[in-house]
Amino acid sequence: MELRPRVLVTKIGLDGHDRGARVVAACLRDAGMEVVYTPPWQDIPAVVKLAIEEDIDVIGISSLATDHLIVPALIEALRAAGAGDVAVIVGGIVPDEEVPALIEAGVAQVFHPGAPLARIADFVRSAAARVRATRFPDAR
Amino acid sequence: MTRLSQEVHTASPAPGADPAARQSAEDASRLREAAERWRAEYAASVGAQPDAVNRSGIAIEPLYVPADAPPSFLDRIGYPGQPPYTRGIYATMHRGRSWSQRQLVGLGTPADYNARLRRLIEGGTTAVSLIPCNSVFRGFDMNEVPAELLGTCGTVVDTVEHLETCLDGLDLARTSVALNDPLPFTLLAFLIVAAERRGLDPACLAGTSNQSDYLSHCVANHMFFRLSLPGSRRVLLDEIAFCMGRMPRWNTLSVVGQHMQQAGATPAQAMAFTLSSAIQYARDCIARGMRPDEFLPRFTFFFDVSISFFEEIAKFRAGRRLWTRIARDTLGARDARAWRFKFHAQTSGVDLTRAQPLNNIARVAVQAMAGIFGGLQSLHTDAWDEALSTPGPAGARIAVATQNILREEARLTDVIDPLGGSWYVEQLTDRMEAEIERTLAIVEDAGGMYRAVEAGLVQRMIGESARRFQEHIESGEQVCVGVNAWREPDEGQTHLAQPRPDPARMRSHLESFRRWKAGRPAAAVSRALDDLTRAAHDDTANTFEQVVAAARSGCTHGEICARLRRELGTGQPLAMI
Amino acid sequence: MPHPDRLAAILAGERTALARAISMLENDARGAAALRAALRGRCGRAHVLGITGAPGAGKSTLIGALLGAFLGRGLKVAVAAVDPSSPVSGGALLGDRIRMGSHAGHENCFIRSLSARGQLGGLSASTGAVVDLLDAAGFDTVIVETVGAGQSEVDLARLADTRVVLCPPGLGDEVQALKAGILELADLLVVSKADHPLAGRTAAELRDMLALRRHGGAHPGAGTWQPRVLEVDAAAGTGLEALLEAIEEHRRAIGCGRRLQAREAEADTADTAALCARLAARDPFVTSLGGEFAGARPGAAEVALAIRAQHLNFNGTCHGGVIFALADTAFGLASNSRGRLAAGIDAHVTYHSAVHEGERLLARAREISRSRKLAVYRVDVERADGTLVAAFTGTVFITGAHPAGEGTSSRSAGGA
Repeated sequence: MELRPRVLVTKIGLDGHDRGARVVAACLRDAGMEVVYTPPWQDIPAVVKLAIEEDIDVIGISSLATDHLIVPALIEALRAAGAGDVAVIVGGIVPDEEVPALIEAGVAQVFHPGAPLARIADFVRSAAARVRATRFPDAR
Repeated sequence: MTRLSQEVHTASPAPGADPAARQSAEDASRLREAAERWRAEYAASVGAQPDAVNRSGIAIEPLYVPADAPPSFLDRIGYPGQPPYTRGIYATMHRGRSWSQRQLVGLGTPADYNARLRRLIEGGTTAVSLIPCNSVFRGFDMNEVPAELLGTCGTVVDTVEHLETCLDGLDLARTSVALNDPLPFTLLAFLIVAAERRGLDPACLAGTSNQSDYLSHCVANHMFFRLSLPGSRRVLLDEIAFCMGRMPRWNTLSVVGQHMQQAGATPAQAMAFTLSSAIQYARDCIARGMRPDEFLPRFTFFFDVSISFFEEIAKFRAGRRLWTRIARDTLGARDARAWRFKFHAQTSGVDLTRAQPLNNIARVAVQAMAGIFGGLQSLHTDAWDEALSTPGPAGARIAVATQNILREEARLTDVIDPLGGSWYVEQLTDRMEAEIERTLAIVEDAGGMYRAVEAGLVQRMIGESARRFQEHIESGEQVCVGVNAWREPDEGQTHLAQPRPDPARMRSHLESFRRWKAGRPAAAVSRALDDLTRAAHDDTANTFEQVVAAARSGCTHGEICARLRRELGTGQPLAMI
Repeated sequence: MPHPDRLAAILAGERTALARAISMLENDARGAAALRAALRGRCGRAHVLGITGAPGAGKSTLIGALLGAFLGRGLKVAVAAVDPSSPVSGGALLGDRIRMGSHAGHENCFIRSLSARGQLGGLSASTGAVVDLLDAAGFDTVIVETVGAGQSEVDLARLADTRVVLCPPGLGDEVQALKAGILELADLLVVSKADHPLAGRTAAELRDMLALRRHGGAHPGAGTWQPRVLEVDAAAGTGLEALLEAIEEHRRAIGCGRRLQAREAEADTADTAALCARLAARDPFVTSLGGEFAGARPGAAEVALAIRAQHLNFNGTCHGGVIFALADTAFGLASNSRGRLAAGIDAHVTYHSAVHEGERLLARAREISRSRKLAVYRVDVERADGTLVAAFTGTVFITGAHPAGEGTSSRSAGGA
């Protein structure tokens, strides 16, 4: 039996530009994943609770303004809630010099504008598979 | 290709007619022969190439001929400053008066904003623009949001005092102020109170309430959807009614196509949805007893201008022509000022790429040219580094210089509507007009823009267009230099210092806000907020009038927004793919 | 049995444990059968509230309002929101929970989005088990949300104690179109968006239809309950109190755990795989073909086959009869999986691509609909990489007997 990847595509913080999030969510759906999609402006505790209840493997944060600056706080909160194994990726406009800090904080990957959807889907699929394998070691 | 051969046929004169007719018959036959020769040569060398289609889905022919332009010059094209305004809303257009160069200014604290503004004032600016922080856009005070985000996208303005600091040294009576100020228009309220404190009559204030178009925010999920749809509808009408009486120079409403095109609408859809929104707002005003001749001249429009050069030019020309008809025939305006389609345009950030980012300078130049040839009244050019980060001062300088180069070096403004009469541009204007009308009809059938947005129809249509466009990029059908074509094997990384507000200054701004709040006369604040509650539940009261009163009594932006959210409902965006 | 610690965490309503357990049930991963067995006897306390209606009818907004009311009374509430999955990719977009408003963050609230997993418009095969889990975990109310299309009302009727059907205000024709499945199954018909100009008229039309219906006969499975029509504007809160009262009244009249009684008649889930394995092992044709039984759930079965030289036709590709036989075997097992003898009466296959020696095929049969007498199955025959080789649909006639060897002897659908 297959364990379909479960992915959350969301926006935290204050910005509302969600074209990228929508396009990526639809692409991951078409790649056979189960995608929980939210409108923008989610707060961190809500995202953590959602990720746990929905048994999310990968969280994709879309950031066009500067909301990526609070992604480290999200990762902290996930860890504190016992969901530190969720892979967090960020897509959108992130200045180069702010990427290392995100990676340092535990972000699995940063995708910039122009990243092909297929590459994003491949990355998400394999990251999800790793999370699934540790959560359900003897599922298959 | 059949189209060409059909349309070059002219009526054949009867045999034995006069010499002029014989001459004309000879001309027609030469024309036919030339067209056929061209067609054969073209087909032989190009072969079965796929048809070109623009972003709005209109097929583009390889060549246009006189028959492609509309037959009636006066009715369809005409003179600038005369209906149907295809060529521009003023007789002089850019020849008489250049467009306003409005660059978005603002990061950090009000003091930071003022420092940048003073440099603009020294340069003789007569138009300024204020972009508040995203915390303001979302309807919160600075102490209610993650501190890391404060001032990273705009200026933190939560009180009258903050706005006074921002605009310190600016002659309010002689400067046009564009406020990016979504409902419930707290920044405008702050501006009114700031003017009163300087002893000025608010009637002297000129400028625009940008971001007042709540439908576009709801559709595109942009930042500002603070109040429920019915609540937003009410507050916008109150603002328009308030300004109608007291602030004749204030543009109360900016109807926005930019958000929707940025969210993925095609240029034709974006124009259609914008016109539909304007129709909705106008009908709402009429239902409130306002007269189109009074409120319509204060409506302005705001569009995205993409790199699809001719399509954008045709979009603006078609939109202008349609609005004339809508304002006059559908909405019943008699005053020609109400028929004029005044618009601001911003070059599209969606076309900018992170790969080979300096290419963006070229893209912005082409977009700006499309806007200028489209007859805009005001232009914002994006900085090339927008695709990498929040644009820095160096990028913003090039963006302004681009406009100056186009106007003064390239002299694009010497002739009014220089592309008017191009068989292609006139034909495309007609086609875009038809396409826009098709979408207008869809919205009208759904019960108008308010209902169409409430039901998610517009969101779905835009989502589909966004996906189709992305598929075209992924498939390479839509070429994007540096992304899916003409990639360089070894691209040097472009490093930019990201301008971030100074944390110490922001901390002290926050601290002084807290102190100020604690020191206010609490009774006046709570009284003003209670008045706001009462106004919200009294259909005969004007909520915006109470927003101004609340600002006068020392209420903060967050307090006013929170109270109206409580009384009128919070905006719930539709999560739609 | 699941690990005792894990079971204890589930029964204590521990969030992460519940979430993982739901994934396990949804994917039918190893341990799922044991978990289902362990839950048996531990549920029946929760009130299961089914909410269905067409997209845009206002389900999520209504659920948001109900959540607010239930949580306000101190109840623990779980929501299982079933979204349709894409028939092409199998992927799904699960966006409903956010429309339920701010209550999702409440500590007494647990929301899980489930993909319908190919059950077009219906409930996923595991929704029943997920409801059991949430019930056993101590939630007072379990709300199941489905898109009202096709089979879902029937499934929901089996699952829910109280069934609420949402109808958006509409014109006469639209209301007429609704009535078919819905009036049979609704305990409460809610006209949403009561502020809409057509709401009152829609409610009146529904009441007329219910009145006609009452003359026509009893409401199946509803005891003495008479369905009602209510008008609710969830966004403004109007009509909500009346709906809450009606729900409570229905709960008192009907009780909780209706699904458990309905299920007793069917073969036990945990026994299904064993039953199908026995049936497959006794099938000489399948054995000689080389087919391997690969798993089953009630209403679903999988059979695998490695293509060898003996399966080829004169063109050197796999014989169509082999593919048909493989699909038919899965069809037979799925239709007999509920322990009732089912005989095939019609089947149709479409071949999508040629298969070569050395490839391994998997036939996956699932139930599209099932009534007392007839059931329809769809079988996808796929390669290991998931590409579709053939699509098969079949109909069975369900008899009162047991499959051969499992009771009295008779002919089964497999090899029909």
